[in-house]
Amino acid sequence: MVAAGEATGLRLTAVDARARALGLRPGEPLARARARLSTPLSVHPADPEADAAALDRLCLWAKRYTPNVAAFGEAEGRDGLFLDVAGSSHLFGGEAGLMADLARRLSANGVPARMALAGTPGCAFALARHGAGGLVPAGGEAAALRDRPVLALRIEPEMAATLGRLGLRRIGELIDAPRAPLARRFGEGLIRRLDQALGHRPEPLVPLDEPAALGAVRGFLDPIGHQAIIVATVARLMETLAPRLEAAGLGARALRLTLHRVDGVIRTLALALSEPTRCPVQVGRLLDLRLDRLGSALDAGFGFETVRLDVVGTGPVAARQVDFSSRGRGASASGLADALRQRLGRGILHLAPHASHVPERAEAVEPWRVTRVALRRPERATGLPRPLVLLIRSEAAEDVLAPDGPPQRFRWRRRLHRVAHADGPERIAGEWWSGSAPTRDYYVVEDEAGRRLWIYRQAPSPAQTVAPSNTLAPLQTPPQTQAAGWFIHGMFA
Amino acid sequence: MTPSPPARRPDAAPRECGDASSRLAALRTRIAIHDSQTTSRKTLSFGVHAVDGGLPGGGLGLGHLHEVAPEAEGDEPAALGFALALVARRLAEVAGDALLVIARGHPMPYGHGLAGLGLDPGRLLLFEAGSDSDAYRALEEALRTGGLAAVAGLVDAGLPLTQSRRLHLARGRTDGLLLVLRPAGAESPNVAATRWRIAAGKALRDRFGCIERPCWRVRLDRCRNGRTGDWLLEWDHAAHRFGLAGALAGHPPQAGGAGSLGGRP
Repeated sequence: MVAAGEATGLRLTAVDARARALGLRPGEPLARARARLSTPLSVHPADPEADAAALDRLCLWAKRYTPNVAAFGEAEGRDGLFLDVAGSSHLFGGEAGLMADLARRLSANGVPARMALAGTPGCAFALARHGAGGLVPAGGEAAALRDRPVLALRIEPEMAATLGRLGLRRIGELIDAPRAPLARRFGEGLIRRLDQALGHRPEPLVPLDEPAALGAVRGFLDPIGHQAIIVATVARLMETLAPRLEAAGLGARALRLTLHRVDGVIRTLALALSEPTRCPVQVGRLLDLRLDRLGSALDAGFGFETVRLDVVGTGPVAARQVDFSSRGRGASASGLADALRQRLGRGILHLAPHASHVPERAEAVEPWRVTRVALRRPERATGLPRPLVLLIRSEAAEDVLAPDGPPQRFRWRRRLHRVAHADGPERIAGEWWSGSAPTRDYYVVEDEAGRRLWIYRQAPSPAQTVAPSNTLAPLQTPPQTQAAGWFIHGMFA
Repeated sequence: MTPSPPARRPDAAPRECGDASSRLAALRTRIAIHDSQTTSRKTLSFGVHAVDGGLPGGGLGLGHLHEVAPEAEGDEPAALGFALALVARRLAEVAGDALLVIARGHPMPYGHGLAGLGLDPGRLLLFEAGSDSDAYRALEEALRTGGLAAVAGLVDAGLPLTQSRRLHLARGRTDGLLLVLRPAGAESPNVAATRWRIAAGKALRDRFGCIERPCWRVRLDRCRNGRTGDWLLEWDHAAHRFGLAGALAGHPPQAGGAGSLGGRP
């Protein structure tokens, strides 16, 4: 067994199977255990650092099952790990096969384990630590948790004791109890844990840090705090890393900078790059921009004594012929994208065409990426006009005077437009394969001032033309897409 | 280090005559020499003699700041179209990408419409800025990075003096087209080389009455070392060329006359 010192004396922190058979439990004072039992006890001092290191090793080993592994945090007791096996269990013959494989390998290595697999981390934890473990089918979380004690929800023992005094000992009783008084009496934490266990609220796992491929560190006798010195140090560290990257034919794609402050606080900054690089100047410049944006939020305090730069992600750098006359096509854009992301926190976008004939679905704004091959936008065979600006949501035109064909007069954005010319109609049918979409007749209208707008008339939808006996049909479809009438959809240059 | 802007030159100067005009011409050459040492001499021409003739160097100075504004509320699409037409003309001349910085309050352009304006959407990078100050920061960063053929900013408020000076300093040695599009009625003194006001104009129509080319009423409000003016310009998206619309639009029978029937498809 293992014991650790506290303010009130030594207490047991972990017991093995034989000690458990004697009735010893973690948390008991060592003196009382010695007094209670006549058998000699073999006591070892606790070593939390070694425990944490062993758990880290176990987490790294468990990456064979899934890339998303998270060690237990403070609330779970730091003595276990979560595996997010969504999408990877089929590689081991299903969830049951994965659990059997994991149990076999752990026991072969002499690691005792209790495992549970459920739809939420909270449910799996409750079953593994306060139940029989096993596999919970999807959607069966509430039924599986119903008989477990409330302590299994990862709440403080004091709160569990208070709940017990109120007669709420099982999670099922909590599920049935009214929520509002519970939240008022015990705070948001209890409700959050309950919802997380039942899957009503997401619980993101904190995955293990990416192991660094390469790293360099520099310590300072005199702590540094000036931005220019930090940037220069990082550039110097990158210079030491560059030859090692070059030897492997790689460049850094993601970097992690760790700054250890004198008083023990650790600041971590992640730098991501559009293209793998080995250039210290570029890394230093990006860091400079990031520190510019952070400003006083970095909070150097009395200064940083250790600066560590890790290469977290790498990518191959193809040896390229440098063009003397002009820089490459992607080079300036990727540099700009990185600089803007560091300085302003947003990336560059571009307009990507989509295969659809419906105007608002024919294009999407997507994050820009370095592409070696320029994507060709499919040429529209017809020279039909498309507006320079497409409104995100088409706006209704009022007071439309359209006796037949194009409108002659309409009011839009509180301005009366008298139509001088109108081209059209261009009929664009809805996508029949994705539900009943009404057909639109588009006109390009030019008002007397020369402003050109794209206006369409929406035909009455099929749902409205069916016999009135079918009263359910109009209710099922949202009313705004069904309304017939005139709408402005875009503006021409 | 930038030289102080040249002494304010009265716009009414050409009306004076005699030895005053010759002295003025001498002065102008001295200023031109002084200017050419610090700025790039490359320009982006409109392809219209009437417009290019009044601009220093025969076109929009590349690497200089140019301000575009709609004439009135409701002319924003026309102003955006004019600015993007200039970008398209620049992209047709050189390789490289263009960056469009869009501040809050401006709509995102529609790629298929850009293609209709002769601007390849694949060469247009977009940056959405949360505020005007972010938009100006992004513009400065783009100028410092260099290598872009054109940089255009759509800002929500005016172009203030401080920001225009910062852009002027950040442009460095880039020779990209630099445009700032601001909303109507937000005028403020700044160091922009030119200021354009754009209003929508009646589109040029073919003989079937269909819209053939967009048309804008373009007013050059302010032009350093050049002449201001007022034109009706059309934009040919296939040839990436501006044209004077007045000459054709005034005589529709000639434009669509029998002589040109054979040449047109």
